[in-house]
Parts: sequence; C-alpha cells; structure tokens
Amino acid sequence: MTSPAWQRRRTAATDLWREFRGNRGGLAGLCVLAAIVVLAVLAPLITDESGLDVISATGTPLQPPSGEYWLGTDVDGRSVLLLTFWGARVSLLVGFAATVLSVFIGTLVGIVAAHFQGWPSAVLLRVTDFFLVLPSLVLAIALSSVLTKGIWTIVLAIGVTSWPSTARLVRAQTLTIESRPYIERAKALGGGHAHLIGKHVLPAVLPLVLANTTLVVGSSIIAESTLSFLGLGDPTSVSWGSMLQTALSSGAVTAGAWWYLLPPGLAIVVIVLSFTLVGRALETVLNPRLKAGR
Amino acid sequence: MSPLLELRDLGVTYSTGGDEVEAVRDVNLALEPGETLGIAGESGSGKSTVALSVLRLLPKSAKVSGEILLDGEDVTTMRWGRLRAVRWSSASVVFQGAMHALNPVRRVGEQIAEPIRLHTDLPEAKVRARVTELLDQVDLPPAKARSYPHELSGGQKQRVMIAMAVACEPRLILADEPTTALDVIVQAQVLALLGELVAERGIGLVLITHDLSVLAATCRRIAVMYRGEVVEEGPGDEVMARPRHEHTRALAAAFPTVGDPASRFAPATTNPLPPEPDRAAPDAEAPGLLAARDLKVTFRDRHGEVVHAVAGVDLDVRRDEIVALVGQSGSGKTTLARALLGLQRPTAGSVFYDGRLVPTSSAGLKEYRRQAQLVLQDPTSALNPRHTVYEAVAEGPRIHGITGDERSLVLEALTAAELRPAETYLSRLPHELSGGQRQRVVIAGALALRPSVLVADEPVTSLDASVRGEILALLLRLRRELALAALVITHDLGLAWNIADRVAVMYRGELVEVGPVEQVLLEPRHEYTKSLLAALPTGMARAFERGV
Repeated sequence: MTSPAWQRRRTAATDLWREFRGNRGGLAGLCVLAAIVVLAVLAPLITDESGLDVISATGTPLQPPSGEYWLGTDVDGRSVLLLTFWGARVSLLVGFAATVLSVFIGTLVGIVAAHFQGWPSAVLLRVTDFFLVLPSLVLAIALSSVLTKGIWTIVLAIGVTSWPSTARLVRAQTLTIESRPYIERAKALGGGHAHLIGKHVLPAVLPLVLANTTLVVGSSIIAESTLSFLGLGDPTSVSWGSMLQTALSSGAVTAGAWWYLLPPGLAIVVIVLSFTLVGRALETVLNPRLKAGR
Repeated sequence: MSPLLELRDLGVTYSTGGDEVEAVRDVNLALEPGETLGIAGESGSGKSTVALSVLRLLPKSAKVSGEILLDGEDVTTMRWGRLRAVRWSSASVVFQGAMHALNPVRRVGEQIAEPIRLHTDLPEAKVRARVTELLDQVDLPPAKARSYPHELSGGQKQRVMIAMAVACEPRLILADEPTTALDVIVQAQVLALLGELVAERGIGLVLITHDLSVLAATCRRIAVMYRGEVVEEGPGDEVMARPRHEHTRALAAAFPTVGDPASRFAPATTNPLPPEPDRAAPDAEAPGLLAARDLKVTFRDRHGEVVHAVAGVDLDVRRDEIVALVGQSGSGKTTLARALLGLQRPTAGSVFYDGRLVPTSSAGLKEYRRQAQLVLQDPTSALNPRHTVYEAVAEGPRIHGITGDERSLVLEALTAAELRPAETYLSRLPHELSGGQRQRVVIAGALALRPSVLVADEPVTSLDASVRGEILALLLRLRRELALAALVITHDLGLAWNIADRVAVMYRGELVEVGPVEQVLLEPRHEYTKSLLAALPTGMARAFERGV
C-alpha cells in the first residue's frame, strides 16, 4: 500500500516546489547555492591542487589582479582565486557537518523534552536554557582551543553550541502536535512512545526542521569563518576564515592589498545570504502560520 | 403597516478564488414586531449568511441580490452613515460563540456601554446607570460590570452578549446560535430571557439554530433552510408535528423527544435496523465487562487547589449493552472515560475488565487496549491529516502486530463501519471525507482491533443533525450484530433515549442516578436529573400530551 502514500508525497513535493518557485529571492538563492556546491565539488578536477602549496607557489607576493592571477596573489605568492575556490570546500563541509550535528541534537532534545513530561523534560529544558544563555562563540572558542586543531574539532564546537534554538522550535511544534486528538486516538489504540513519535510527531515536525536546517547552515559557516579567523581552525587547510586571518596577520591590510580581503569576505556574504534566502522561502512555504499573514 | 423585517428574493453569492458559490437563494421572509422567527438548518445551509446580510456584515467577497427591508428601508442601498446609525440602534446581533465575541482585555461593563456611547450623547453617569439597568434585565448583579470575560461562565457571557444587543433598544434582534455551546440548563435560561424581551418590549427576534427543538419551544414561526433555500416555512407547532419537507423531517428526528416511544431504540436512519437479537438479556446483577469501583481522579488547578474531577464512581458496562453517561460540561464525564481506558491514571479506586484489574504498566495496558477502544468527539481532529483512510484503520492492527491479511482486515472494519464499498475509501485522505464519514473511519479504526467495549466521547456532537442519527444507528447496530458493548458520553438526553439501555447521570464528579433508560428519564428521582429533563426545550409536556 505504499503506492498511494508515495503518490501523495510526490504531489505534495510538486506543490511545494511550485510555491517555492513563486518566491524569487529563494529561487535566486537556490541557483547561487547550486552553482557554488557544484564548483566546490568539482574543484580538484578543474584546478590544480599543487597551486595551494606555499613552496611551489609561482607568483610574487601580494601581486594585484592581473591577466595571470585574476584576483591577485597572497603573501606567499599563491593565487587568491584558487584559495577562495578551495576555501569553499572547507566552509561548506564544516557548515553542513556542523548543521547535521546541531539539528540532530536539537530535534532529539526538542522531541524528547516535549513528549516525556516530568523530570526528563525538566532536566533537558534546563540544559537547553544553559546552552542558550551561554555565549556560544566563547564556548566554541574554549572547546576548539582545548581539543586538537582540525576541521572536526570546529564541527564539534559549532554543533554542540548551536542546537538550543532548534530544540526550542522543535519542542514548541511537538507540543502543538501532541495536543491534537489524533495523538489521543493513537494512544487509545495502544501505540507506544516510538509509534507516537515515529508515525505522528516526526512527520509533522520535519518540514519545520528542514527550513530551520537551511538557516542553521548559514550561521554555521559564519561560525566556522569566525573560529578560523581567530586562528582556531585547521592550519593545514585553506578556509575563508583562515584566509582573512593570514591577510590580517601578514600586513596585507596595511599594504592596501584589497584583493586579498574582499574575495573571501564576499564569498561568505554571498553563501550565507543564499542559505538565508532559501531558508526563509522554505519557512514561508512550510509554516502555515507564516503563510496566513501574507 | 410594513413588517419590521422583510427579505425579498434575497440571494448571496461568495466568490472564492474565481469560483462563485451560491450561499443563499430566493429567500423570502417577513417578521412583524413582537414576533419570533426561527431559522433552522445544518452547517452550510446559509442561515448565518442570511442573518449577517441584514446588517451588511458579510465579507467583501459576498454579493447580495434582492431586497432587505428594515422598517421599509432597503439595507442594501443604504449609505454608509445611515447604515452605521441603523446598526445596533434599530437592529442588533447576538453573535455565535459568546466565548470569542467578547474582548478579553476589557471589562464587560465597558463593552456593554460601547454601543450606547457610539449611538447616543448620554452623560457618563447615565451611561453607567443604563449598563446597570441592562445587567439587571439579564439577571446579572451590577458588580459583574467590573468583571473581565474570562471571569464569567458561558451562560453569563451569553447574557452579557444579550445585554449588549439590547443596549440601544433595537426593534430587531438577530440571535445566531445563541445557545449552541451552552449546557441544557443554561440554554433554557437564555432562551427564557430572550422570550421575555420579546413579550415585554414588542421587539422582533430572529433565532437561528441547528436544533429544531429549541425553535419549537421559543418561536411562533419556523423557516427551515437547506442548501441556501428556505424549504419549509410555517407555524412552529405545525412544522414540528407535521414536517412536509424531507430535510425538516430529518432535522426533527435528529432531536428526539425524550419519552416518545416512537424514537426509543430508533435513531433517525435510512437503513433499517436489525431486530433485537435473541440473546439472553444481560444479567442485571453480574459485574460488568468494564467496571469502575470507587474511582477517583483529582487534579490541582492553577492556584494549587484540589479539583475532584471524578469523586468516587462505581459504574458497570455489561456485555451487549449501551450505557449513556450524561452530564453537563465540567461534570467529569470525559475524565471518567479517560480513566476507564487507562489514558488517565486514577488517584484512587480501580478499573476492572472482565473481572480482572486493569494493569497500569504500559505492556499490560497495551493488551487491554485491544479490548477497550475509544471514539473521540471531533472526527476532524481525531484523524491525522497526513494519513490515508487505510493507514488510519490499519494503525491499530500494526501497533499490535496482528498477523494475517492486513488489507482484508481493513476492508472488513470499514464495511462494519458502513463505509461501502470499502475499497473506494482506502486511499482517501480525511479532508476529502464528510464529517460523518470521518467519524465512521474513526469507528472502523477502533473496530479493526475487534474490541469488546467501545467508549465514545460525545460521538455526534460535532456532526450535522442528519448524520447524527446514522452514527447512532451504527452504534446500535454494532451492539445488536456483534454484541459490542458501549459507553457513550453525552450531554444530550435524546441520544440516551435513542440508543442506550441504561443511563448514568453524572453531576460534579459523582454519579447521582444510574438505571434503565425508561426508569431514569421518565421517573427521575434525583433533583439534578429532574432539572436536566425540565430544561429540555421540548420538555416532557409534549410527550405527555401523546399519552406516554
């Protein structure tokens, strides 16, 4: 009997896509994101990785944009275009991985806190409040300076500190769903916790989580750039944050090397803006409360 | 002299997203001063649209044709300023659902004073005196003027709405379902109040409701609306006693007269009922299949005070019988039902099923739930909007891991719930079904587990009158054919008279009277049962007239 269910899901997805298409900002964001993701994935194929090596760098340091180096070179004589290109890979990887971690923790905590009344809920909510009031950047800095330096440390630091808002959102939505009479009916039919959550709560909460996820990716990328900029990132890999950091520490700013600062900075703005546009568009499409006001 | 209100060829069309929906068609009605006109009809019949059109309160998407003459003046062509003056000072509305029609953050005295201030130049002291006078008219103490809506009961709020409606001494009052959300006793009080106003002041009253018995008790003339048209109009007694139109008959039958032998064990249904099976009557002394012994449920309210929702109840539901649990809202009926099903842990006392104590562990409860099933009040929200009928019905068997052919099990349950042919319903979603069909799906979902007792919490309250009888007939048929016992929770004594074998009357958490339907409803012993019966709009008088 999966056929009518799948058919229904397909029509739902088509409807969703039609509504999403109507939102021009969201569509533009999606196009930009698709282009960036494709370029980042194809980076090893269309560029030469050896250009990232400081030793084999061919250009002279801090050369302004020219025909050979479209975006100039950095302090070590490497192409800024190539660095920005490869930086996208790290930024996207960290952004997505941290988001998956954060949304997973947030959804789990949110549903459990709403579904189980009594002490488990109280404990989880206090923990959520604790993380919510703690300045997450400071916590992430502390975490990544204690743990060994590397991409996964940054992922962990961001993921562990950014879940509380997701948890709050999911908890609110779960509480709304759980007050519906069909939950009472499912209980009377003999459904246990797993059944209630898996069959009724999760499918109703997931669309909101999806919209939220897209927004979290943007903030995770900013967090990654911030941590790298503060010198807490992986020193062996190039990311936009670390590019900005070397630019600042090597005196490129005072030397007036604008071509070294602008590309990574603009890249961060564009990618975060795109994620936010897509996230907001998804939110208006999926959240009935936002739709009603328009 | 021209009538107070006259509708000539009234038609209202709503345009929604390019579609034109004709909500009201060719309605011709007239009302003289001092008269009451009742408009009856199901949801969607256009009765509220008629009422709102009189004061031009319809949304912009509505197009009105025909004439609406208020004291000979056509409302549809009135200028804005004139319309404003007419609203409330010559005609006013008692809106549906007093709970939501009052501003929650303003004192009720202020809200009653609002139309007076808008329409007259009375000095402040006189406005206050007038508010006090109005509150007195609706039997509320003057001190209530300082209350906020949430501090008043449903009946009191409805009285405030009536005080607001008469504030500017209008000559016409339109009351749209003024008593729908109220209990029978409060309903009787509100109707009496409206009747007094008509008799004393010679105003015209248009009373709109889906409950024909309310109209029969209060209105001299009744008009029945069906799909936007007036299908029948005439003196109240005549329409009730000799309905000509099929739809009027369905509406009249849906609210049976308690004590009328014609409607005993005969809910309004188009399919004939099976005869009473030749089984031995349930042993009156034997303990029930489902039994509560000294059951107590207490809650703490917001102020930490203990509320005894269920205060020591002994109740038996035996095999092959339907027990009706009757009481006002807040009497603890639903809490008792939830405790019986193990959805609410009792504070004290115990529930027995088939002589054994119902366990409180989740594994034990799961086993118990195959035997005792629940049917909820509002089928629209009782079904997950994302699940198809098939999924909704198969949910129970899947939870319990019942082996065998799932599809045939579902088809069987749907057929038992009279959704025929069952195959056509399998892949439909709840929003594609009517209210009655949804309730049948809920019942089918319960039947799929082959339970031996069904607990139905107000199973027909949210359904239209014509569907009501069909669902009740289904419950009665299930008992006769499958010997399925049922506990039906209701505030409607007519329902008990229609299908139940025994009645339990609940008042403030306690059962004040339990016994066979005929005994309890025809010879009530407890004061509360008597007041419930006296408050029925049709009253016992009509039944006695026919010599019962």
